[in-house]
Amino acid sequence: MSVIDRSVDIGGFVPQPDDDMLICRCEEITKGEIRKAVHAGMWTMTEIRRYLRTGMGLCQGQTCSRLVKGIVARELGVSPAELEPATARSPMRPTEMKVLGKEVS
Amino acid sequence: MDRYEVIVVGAGPSGLSAAIEAAKRGLNVIVFDENDKPGGQLFKQIHKFFGSKEHHAKIRGFHIGEELLAEAAEVGVEVVLGATVIGLYSDKEVSVRIGEEIKHYKGDTVIVATGAAENMVTFPGWTLPGVIGAGAAQTMMNIHGIQPGKKILMLGSGNVGLVVSFQLLQAGCEVVALVDAAPKIGGYGVHAAKVARCGVPFYLSHTIKEAHGTDQLTGVTINEVDEKFRPIEGTEKYFEVDTICMAVGLSPMSQLLKMAGCEMEDNPKRGGQVPIVDEYGETSVSGVFAAGDVSGIEEASSAMIEGKMAGVCVCGYLGYITDEEKDAELLKLEKDLESLRQGMFAPKNRGKLIEKTEEGIDISMNLLKKGYVADDEIERFPGVVHKVGVHPVMECTQNIPCNPCQDACSKGCISIGNNITCLPFIKEDSNCINCGMCVASCSGQAIFLVDEDCGDGTATVTLPYEFLPLPEVGDKGYGLSRNGEKICDAEIVSVKSVKAFDHTNLVTMKVPKEYAMKARFFKCS
Amino acid sequence: MENKNKADVVVVGGGIIGCATAYYLSKRGKSVIVLEASENIGNGGSSRNGGGVRQSGRDPRELPLAMYGIKELWPELSKELGVDCEYHKDGNLRLGKNEKHKEILQGLTDRAVACGLDVRMIDADEIKEINPYLSDEVTCASWCPTDGHANPMVTTLAFYKKAREQGVRFITGEKVTRLRKIKGKLREVYTEENLYEGDYVVVAAGYESREILETVGVDVPMHQELCECLVTEAEPHMFDQMLGTAEADFYGHQSDHGSFVFGGMSGLELNNKNTGPKNSPSNASITSPCICRGIMKYFPALANAKIVRTWAGYLDICQDGVPVLGFVNEVPGLVVACAFSGHGFGIAPAVGEQLARLIIDGATTVDISGLRYGRFKAKI
Repeated sequence: MSVIDRSVDIGGFVPQPDDDMLICRCEEITKGEIRKAVHAGMWTMTEIRRYLRTGMGLCQGQTCSRLVKGIVARELGVSPAELEPATARSPMRPTEMKVLGKEVS
Repeated sequence: MDRYEVIVVGAGPSGLSAAIEAAKRGLNVIVFDENDKPGGQLFKQIHKFFGSKEHHAKIRGFHIGEELLAEAAEVGVEVVLGATVIGLYSDKEVSVRIGEEIKHYKGDTVIVATGAAENMVTFPGWTLPGVIGAGAAQTMMNIHGIQPGKKILMLGSGNVGLVVSFQLLQAGCEVVALVDAAPKIGGYGVHAAKVARCGVPFYLSHTIKEAHGTDQLTGVTINEVDEKFRPIEGTEKYFEVDTICMAVGLSPMSQLLKMAGCEMEDNPKRGGQVPIVDEYGETSVSGVFAAGDVSGIEEASSAMIEGKMAGVCVCGYLGYITDEEKDAELLKLEKDLESLRQGMFAPKNRGKLIEKTEEGIDISMNLLKKGYVADDEIERFPGVVHKVGVHPVMECTQNIPCNPCQDACSKGCISIGNNITCLPFIKEDSNCINCGMCVASCSGQAIFLVDEDCGDGTATVTLPYEFLPLPEVGDKGYGLSRNGEKICDAEIVSVKSVKAFDHTNLVTMKVPKEYAMKARFFKCS
Repeated sequence: MENKNKADVVVVGGGIIGCATAYYLSKRGKSVIVLEASENIGNGGSSRNGGGVRQSGRDPRELPLAMYGIKELWPELSKELGVDCEYHKDGNLRLGKNEKHKEILQGLTDRAVACGLDVRMIDADEIKEINPYLSDEVTCASWCPTDGHANPMVTTLAFYKKAREQGVRFITGEKVTRLRKIKGKLREVYTEENLYEGDYVVVAAGYESREILETVGVDVPMHQELCECLVTEAEPHMFDQMLGTAEADFYGHQSDHGSFVFGGMSGLELNNKNTGPKNSPSNASITSPCICRGIMKYFPALANAKIVRTWAGYLDICQDGVPVLGFVNEVPGLVVACAFSGHGFGIAPAVGEQLARLIIDGATTVDISGLRYGRFKAKI
């Protein structure tokens, strides 16, 4: 893990024509919102999802995590591979409370 | 808690292969799969596979799935379907949702073979209903028998994009364009050629600018991109479509491994977030293995071998075979894997522009850009020869590890030489008996039987045909060129469908003799 | 040459306490550097809690901070930070089903009332009026109408965002290894690669504070318990209260987004293994099912709500269950803020604001003397 000074200048937010394009479909987060969050200081995938809820919906980022990562990386001027993906957590598929609560041996 | 010696997550090609290897040596194995049917993606694969006999070459994917299931049953693998592994925890514990309950299992070893998920790319309108993954389209067609749409644009020219485009045509859909931002086609040339000769236009160095529609997709605009993938203004083309299929790559579904604490890496060459594994798939967590696409995107044939490797490794891990036995088995499997990973499309060649074949022949640039070999390029390939009487013309122009054609000919006419990736050629003084086995056995549908001069100013061309309804003898229509253009009149003179052809019908058309080396498909008038 | 790693205050720990303290210090003109060991701001308990902003159920020693925060800071916080922290002041119901529960709840209520908090016991009818979705088996509850909840992840990041805008330097991936006194006063903060200097050093690094503080001979008696939370898909709006139970089966609320966020325990927390990657503790297979059963006992209506995600996080539990806060007499220049014992989120703004006062004015306006470091004694 590298030491990152969050006060380093990454330039200002510059509007783009496709900023209103949806990226995270489950939570309806747009490209512009993601880019703005980077400029607000959200520099990791984990911070982005906690701040905006990207990848927090029903599909848990199956579709959008790669897309979000690309947008964040471009905004920060780093390679997407440098960004640690958010943690994987159970349940791998949305599970009703009554099912998750019913353990059988 | 129930304990198994081996818990396999995923009953696709690699998971089943792993389970079989372990179960046949006496280990007790359980396989969980969230789907109601086993086989993973295999049952969607209605095309014939490439490779050699060991790789199930010339067998259709769903038949390979059936074979694997039969073998798994025979050696006592317990496959639990509709069983979603919702978590993989420390001490190799899995939590599985089965029906309306959760059950925890412990494994002495765990093999994760969860495969991959489809990637998406974004453009304005990408979230409109009608924009779907190519894999989803395949499921609709090949599992559920539903047309994904009527007029379709395919984005992505890798093997998935090409194969699914062909299947869409088979399902009766119109494929209006095949688009890729890359400057050259990513998949096998033979797959592209099958699609091109049906008349589908290829737009390389193009990407989707915008999908149109309010409640659902009604059309799409594409534009050309420069070498840095920036759109070139004024190159827009509009297509009326109800469906866009995206075949823009796969990402490993490796979340369970990450959850289990396996060391991961982001490796673009393997398709994304993958576990760090040794050469046989063991992760950083002792006894947890990864096999198939989850540890790096390849295809079903290599997934099966990786599965076998993991299966052999757990046998060694749990003391069922000695280290020597394990090493000997792994050596064999490595050779199989190595032979698959050869040729122009080998993982090591990804992204490289290969301009010559192993034989030193210039690759058809038209094939890479338009999807078909141009008339003036085709003659330079060794499978394309002129002879008196009926003889095979093999339009196989790229080095792919594949050799069923060689075994198909009982007369020994065809050879691919020393290396499985070599281009096939016709042996001197061979004697073709027009049986058609080579045509039906070529997974790339690249072999034609041609009689260049029937003596009456006509020629006959026998071509592989996998569309319904089949033409009938006497049907009149057109001969289509390699890019699907009507170039001559044609009449069907023979239609053969025998069991050995496995649904690749042989249709023979009579064309004017000057079109013997140009007409490669038939269209009824 | 001026050392750019020098500031009025160095804060160790980029959780909500560190971020809030940095925010209030910078608001009053102080230069601040925040050092966070992990790669994420708010990586620990700050982002791994149920979001309670409660006064009820608190120990009298920390209750004044909770009451102050809810009265003075939380109502305007979203506006002040420019981010919707999803704060709700719609009350807290602590639920019970039997006489034993009632006794527990009555005890908590009596102690809070003695401290001047508006909290009272209510009966089944009144409970139904406040929240009609609860099981009929719920027969008693304590009710504190001024309690509430907020979004902990967003609130933490909002403090960070605003502090960063005010010029606070946040450095992530910067693990502190040692503190050092210079001429009798704490001044230097060493990390693996760098040295930072401040007139004051605030140590707000959760459980990791313990080993950092040890380098200047300060030991906070605390331990960790690995607990879990879960979140459902978005559901139609049902209620706005924060919920808990007498036996702590679960706690949580419905968020503005519609999802339910609940935390709870399996009973094995003291010994739960963590095999997760660094900075992200792993779940145990049996905890979330247990939380689900706990919720359904009180909330049968949620049986079909789908859980989309669970997560695990450590509680840094102090020997006596309340945080250690403030100056340490033996080490001038040191400010300790740790061992929040699983209920730090709700008081975080107040802690940050009061620590800024402590550093700048030399004293807090809220009595935090009961939370001082020197309070631990043997039992006989």
